[in-house]
Amino acid sequence: MITWILIGVAIIIVFVFFMYYNRFVRLSHQIDNSLAQISVQLKKRSDLIPNLLSAVKGYMKHEKKVITEVTNARKALVGAEGIEAKMKAGNKLQSALKSIFAIAEGYPDLKANTNFLQLQQELSAIEDKVAYARQYYNDGIMSYNVMTNMVPGKWFASMYGFNKREYLKIAEAEKAVPKIEF
Amino acid sequence: MEQTRLSFHKEIAKNKRSSYLLIGTVLIVLLALVYSIGFVMGPDYFFIILIAGTIISIIYVTAGYYKSADLAIAASNAKKASGPEYRQYHNIVEGLCLASGLPKPKLYIMHNQQINAFASGRDPQHAVVCVTDGAIEKLTKQELEGVLAHELSHIANYDIRFMTLTAVLVGMIAIISQIFLRTLFWSSMTGRGNSKNNNNTIMMVIGIALAILAPILVALVQLAISRKREYAADSSAVKFMRTPTGLIGALKKIQHNTPMKVSGAVAPLFLAKPTKEKEWFQTHPPLSKRIARLERM
Repeated sequence: MITWILIGVAIIIVFVFFMYYNRFVRLSHQIDNSLAQISVQLKKRSDLIPNLLSAVKGYMKHEKKVITEVTNARKALVGAEGIEAKMKAGNKLQSALKSIFAIAEGYPDLKANTNFLQLQQELSAIEDKVAYARQYYNDGIMSYNVMTNMVPGKWFASMYGFNKREYLKIAEAEKAVPKIEF
Repeated sequence: MEQTRLSFHKEIAKNKRSSYLLIGTVLIVLLALVYSIGFVMGPDYFFIILIAGTIISIIYVTAGYYKSADLAIAASNAKKASGPEYRQYHNIVEGLCLASGLPKPKLYIMHNQQINAFASGRDPQHAVVCVTDGAIEKLTKQELEGVLAHELSHIANYDIRFMTLTAVLVGMIAIISQIFLRTLFWSSMTGRGNSKNNNNTIMMVIGIALAILAPILVALVQLAISRKREYAADSSAVKFMRTPTGLIGALKKIQHNTPMKVSGAVAPLFLAKPTKEKEWFQTHPPLSKRIARLERM
């Protein structure tokens, strides 16, 4: 009788060990995947820029400054290494795009151009997607860190060598409210 | 008294808990029914009834389960959403899928001027989402996003699976009650049943009453579960979007909907069912209550 109980307990313990290991693995994959999703969306954004620029070039002849700004921001994004740098470059590109769209308000012909409108819609959808992917990434990090900090997850984490992971932060400068000058 | 804010994490957990409690109730009713039939008819009869009821119910519901998405699409006359006018619809769903970690469902459009939507499919890999033309035209982007977040929540919470499980149990109870009542009727007509248990008249009456009432009771419980899942989906929608504004706006617009004509079989799937029955007989909680809850998040 006692042997059976011991065998039962042993099976349960092994099961718990497996369960925790699998949970860590699943969450890590989820986090890695959402990180990859952010890169995918940023890549899509930089791929759309040449099309956008050729669509607006004919109309915005006197807006050289903004156009160079966007071109440079795109170059920075393409060249960026690592997710933090990519996010930062992506944000810069997004704000450069915002000024293009603001200027476009003054060009009725451009605003009636379907190609331009589609690109504008697509780029704003990408902005949403980047935000959602980042939210999901941070959600994943939260569950992961809660698990690695609480008992018994904490013991398993140190046993299996799963370390605490970092949230994706927006760089301090970009979080600041933009200054409005008159 | 000042109302406290609702946290969506707690709301989701609470609604899930209460739907499990309700399914527990259905199981208890099933056990009580089975026990009283066993008492009245003798255990041999009872096993045959139980087995027959289980098999019929499982076959019936499994077919519905595996075909749930196709059936819903066919019954509502929806077509695939393709073309540039639905680009925003696709973009919003793609964004919400990133927020929820779900694979992208198949998207459909239903030609109807009312604002409504539904989701179906047994798991996220086989899910479909369908919205009406009215929803695409009349809702702002944020409102449409709220509606789609609600529908994706049904997929993420495995509501189709959960409601299927409930339907199996409720169907089982209905079938067992039917078989029991008919056998009893038939045996009393032929005069075979009442030779031995004169002392069991009270049990007999209780058994019959239970057989009549149980299907009605569990059907009401099933509706209550459905309403809980709606609240849970509303809360999950807030979790995905991190703001209830869009869904509140959409529900407020739906309050002005006139009832729409859809097949009764697919009606529970929809985002909102604007009919004027008592809450107990509804698959959805009243819009005003849903809005009030969302406004507290």
